[in-house]
Amino acid sequence: MKRFQLKLAVAAAALAAVLGCASFPSADETRALGEQMVADAYPGMPAALTARAVQDADQKICSKLGGEKLTSIEAGRIVDAARATMKYPPGGKLAGDWKAGERLVSDGAGLRVREGRVEPVKQNGALCINCHALDPREVNSGNLGPALVGYGAQRGNSDAVVKYTYEKIYNAWAYYPCSNMPRLGAHGFLTPEQIADVVAYLVAPQSPVNRK
Amino acid sequence: MFMTRGRLAALALAVVAAPSPAQNGPDGLAVGRQMLAEDNPGELWVERGQRLFFEKRGPKHASLERCDLGLGAGRVEGVFAQLPRYFADTDKVQDLESRLMTCMVTLQGFTTDEIVRKRFGTLDNDSDMEALVSFIGSKSNGMKMNVPLRHPKEAQAYKAGEYLFHRRSGPLDFSCATCHADEGKRIRLQDLPNMTDPAQVQAVVATGWPAYRGTQATVRTMQHRLYDCNWQMRLPDLGYASAMSIALTSYLNHRGNGGVVQLPGVRR
Ligand code: HEC
Ligand code: HEC
Repeated sequence: MKRFQLKLAVAAAALAAVLGCASFPSADETRALGEQMVADAYPGMPAALTARAVQDADQKICSKLGGEKLTSIEAGRIVDAARATMKYPPGGKLAGDWKAGERLVSDGAGLRVREGRVEPVKQNGALCINCHALDPREVNSGNLGPALVGYGAQRGNSDAVVKYTYEKIYNAWAYYPCSNMPRLGAHGFLTPEQIADVVAYLVAPQSPVNRK
Repeated sequence: MFMTRGRLAALALAVVAAPSPAQNGPDGLAVGRQMLAEDNPGELWVERGQRLFFEKRGPKHASLERCDLGLGAGRVEGVFAQLPRYFADTDKVQDLESRLMTCMVTLQGFTTDEIVRKRFGTLDNDSDMEALVSFIGSKSNGMKMNVPLRHPKEAQAYKAGEYLFHRRSGPLDFSCATCHADEGKRIRLQDLPNMTDPAQVQAVVATGWPAYRGTQATVRTMQHRLYDCNWQMRLPDLGYASAMSIALTSYLNHRGNGGVVQLPGVRR
């Protein structure tokens, strides 16, 4: 039986060679190859920058190939890990200045690298309108995430809504494991104070998001 | 159901005997596109690239006529449609740009550093690479993408590319799939091609790059496009012709097989 299987395998390999399709590396081999390529992809770049390309444990889990699903155990792990990252502004005020938030949501700058140097910015932008419609009069907004026009008008600005919104922005994966929305607070891309300002922009009745 | 040796051999023969789809002549649609592309500013890069290809240049005062881009020395027709592929002399899978770099170094005596420094043109300095890629890309016009996965290293590059396409990293948790795996998505007003869709990935790789970019008033190559997306991902400068960039190109180009080439493309 063994010998028969071996013969079959040899025949299959020969067929593959003749047909012109090489056999694919295994998942482990592929990962090793891919990681080696990442390690070699940024020649001459400072270690502080190449470190960005190294995955954390959660990013690894969230890198499923097309069609592969997250298991419920993995989803639970991601949510727990995300909850463990939560930090709040000193004083605990989760909704700040909506006008400061308004400036942040349309700012897409921060941490970009050119010629090995991080682009200098006063503060990182919040990137929100790259992915979300917020102010109904703003035409230049993306749709990678759902439209949030009328967010506060629909949900109100109760403590529960404010807390959810703050935590969602701080670490989106706490509510939606492996979401395409970046973990902006957890990565330190935005400060807790900046996030509180953006929360205010989403929920404040005077904010353009909620004006009729 | 088990196949006997005899049947395997017969099947294999039948497949070998089937005509290769690589050398399809231009179809009607392609001819139409050709006419449309006639006032594409990228044509200027094609012309310059053609001149550069045949000109004796570099410390060795040689043209690129002895450069093997995959289909034999000096052959430019159809090579773009079959790249990236494995090259025995470098023992590597190479895309058009890395292969040209090999030829410019070995045949013409340019240094890798010099080529890398001038890889992307600026207002003051045209890039020879951008011109050469435009010329050679255009020499596959009307042909179908037919990127091979024959050599084990081609299969490795393809699978690594697939892995890298889905690999999330960086301070914004992006992978290529974050922006390029769903239908009808936009970053601000920029439409994002869904590269899990065969028709869209065919259009990107067969009619996209090299592309004349209106916003940059120059032709850019696939290496530049990958560099640009990598920049948006907040990763450091992507190494020119790095194995990662080539693996991603292998993955995309192979999945674009069947797309009819029409280059240079035009992009915003
Ligand atoms: C790269 C794209 C991207 C960016 C940038 C982004 N988001 Fe999101 N966001 C998403 C996606 C995708 C979802 C849907 C999945 C989910 O809930 O995580 C989402 C969901 C949300 C939700 C939950 C919606 C609901 O119905 O409860 C809120 C609130 C939100 N984003 C706010 C923001 C704010 C505010 C910013 C800027 C600080 C921001 N997002 C930046 C992609 C993004
Ligand atoms: C944050 C979003 C984002 C990420 C992540 C991203 N891209 Fe892009 N990509 C874009 C945008 C925006 C464009 C330009 C689309 C336009 O001009 O309409 C683009 C264009 C492209 C194109 C050219 C498409 C065409 O129509 O010709 C290719 C190829 C591409 N990206 C590949 C990649 C690869 C490979 C990765 C991963 C290394 C990647 N992108 C990651 C946003 C992204």
